[in-house]
Amino acid sequence: MIFTIFKKELKDTLRDRRTFMTMIVIPVLIFPIVLNLFVGVSEGYNKESATKKINIGVVASPENNVIDELKNIPSIIGDKKVIRYKDTLSLINDIRKDSLQVGIFMNENFEMHLTEKTTAPVMVYYNATEMGMKDRAEQYMTIIQENAKRKRCQELHIDEQKLTPIFSSYINVASDKEMIGKLAGGILPYIFIAFGFIGCMYPAIDLFTGEKERGTIETLLTTPVQRWQILFGKMGVVVLSGLLAATCALLGLFLSIEVFKLVEDKELLAIIHSILSPSFIFALFTLLFPLTIFFAGVMIPIAIYAKTFKEAQSIITPLNIVMVLPAMVGFFPGIKLDWITACIPVINVVLSTKELISGTLDIGLLGVSFSVMVLLAITAIFISFKQFDKETNIIQ
Amino acid sequence: MIEVTNLYKEFILSKQQQKELNTTDKKSIAVNNISFKCEPGKIFSLLGPNGAGKTTTLRMLSTIFKPTSGTIKIAGIDAIEYPQEARKKIGFLTGSTGLYARLTPNELVEYFAKLYHVKHSDLNIRKDKLFTLLDMHDFQNKRIGKLSTGMKQKVSICRTMIHDPQVIIFDEPTSGLDVITAENIIKLIKDCKSEGKTVIFSSHIMSEVDLLCDDIAIIHKGKLLYSDTMNEFKNQMITENLTTEFIHIVNSSKNN
Repeated sequence: MIFTIFKKELKDTLRDRRTFMTMIVIPVLIFPIVLNLFVGVSEGYNKESATKKINIGVVASPENNVIDELKNIPSIIGDKKVIRYKDTLSLINDIRKDSLQVGIFMNENFEMHLTEKTTAPVMVYYNATEMGMKDRAEQYMTIIQENAKRKRCQELHIDEQKLTPIFSSYINVASDKEMIGKLAGGILPYIFIAFGFIGCMYPAIDLFTGEKERGTIETLLTTPVQRWQILFGKMGVVVLSGLLAATCALLGLFLSIEVFKLVEDKELLAIIHSILSPSFIFALFTLLFPLTIFFAGVMIPIAIYAKTFKEAQSIITPLNIVMVLPAMVGFFPGIKLDWITACIPVINVVLSTKELISGTLDIGLLGVSFSVMVLLAITAIFISFKQFDKETNIIQ
Repeated sequence: MIEVTNLYKEFILSKQQQKELNTTDKKSIAVNNISFKCEPGKIFSLLGPNGAGKTTTLRMLSTIFKPTSGTIKIAGIDAIEYPQEARKKIGFLTGSTGLYARLTPNELVEYFAKLYHVKHSDLNIRKDKLFTLLDMHDFQNKRIGKLSTGMKQKVSICRTMIHDPQVIIFDEPTSGLDVITAENIIKLIKDCKSEGKTVIFSSHIMSEVDLLCDDIAIIHKGKLLYSDTMNEFKNQMITENLTTEFIHIVNSSKNN
């Protein structure tokens, strides 16, 4: 009987255009659209900042040679035009108006400092809201400083190396996979959790509040099917919808990488391939399954209690923030899966998935996370059953 | 056969409900110790003004609601002890019954047949018979949401009868329907009677009651005010017609 109800409800749900959109179409399209946008914008930005011709304003005494040095820097780091300014006030004004991107101020004693082998101060102005301008200014100033240093060493007959007693090299021992897992691994479970929730939402409202509102529940309750069987049949569809939405999001990711070729970096592609292994996907769904039941179990009692579709929607929609917001914890690199975080629902799934991506997951902590979610899922089912069994809740 | 003895139902009122009903009572009695009997091959009519307890009574008979106390026997089965078994014998149709708009009549009837454990061979015979009787073949594969009210009512009838129930419960089945659609229901009720089924129905329309009923019961504020045969009711009438007599009985109960 549960399967008969499940089959009918699934057919009914898939024929609902709104549910179909949130369950299948949007999750499939989200990754290709977001990745396409991200790749397009970042490529465009890189291209633009590399080729953008910038204006550099300089306030300095006429005998200052730095202006010539600036002009002679090859345009490999981008085209530039050096303009002489009389005062810093107009220089700052023009930077604010974006007719000038970088401003350099050297006082009248600049050449004297160089001659006397003391430190010459230089003020560099830029607008932080213009992305990449500080980097360009730093690149120019590094070249000028290195030239000045080299010249001074020659004048003093000092070997440059003697002024550098220690040279440190920093070597990262974390694998690329670990790096991606720890730094960006939170995004993947966040998207799955968000879609898992949204995927459950419309079917839960439609199959419980909707049925009550349309007056179909009364006839269903007069059939010789037990209430828990009706609940399980319907709940099965709600859970499947959530999992289907998450699966469609994964399918969208696969299409972005394998069909639309949105990731071109070969090294990154190899890392992604090694992350998205069948064992990872299996482990991910093992964690998502009780989480989706938990989501369904939270939404169903609300959907049973609500008198109208609108009322149910107005309660469940804000709940989305309460449930999905903790998933953002995964974005912070410092937060790790431990015995405490493994006991916090949603957060434990996100952190476990992160560890899973990094390949550093502790089986004991995974067991705790899974057990906590299963326990919560069972509690949620029990609450749903209690609500569904209340006759005043199910009849309008 | 339906046998109801000392049926009693009370609902616990929430604080909001107490506010809405302007009462401090924590409980509301919907049905107060009523007893009656509906026999096979007869039509039993349950009359009462709005809020009298008719729908609650019929919902208890169809096992949607569990009585606070009392007994209900449906075709000899204790409906409180064995609700699943009792439901197999019941067909339930209300005026407010909704249908699954995204399914076709065919799919809907088959779904309910499965829920009632109807054998596949029986399903095909009964479905074909009902579809022919109600002239449903032309729209059997159209989505219910796209059907007219009359067509939907035919689908409801078909759904109610697909498991060949012995007891049929009609809760204001013609409310809100036009005369032509209502006529389908009237015909169904008559057919059920001629097939020897037990029929109980509630209605506000006195002409329907006069036309169909063998036995009549009047309830008001959960209490049974009158229960006898229709002929006896007519013999005892002290006013000129059914409607005024019904009003007279209800008003008399208010004065007592």
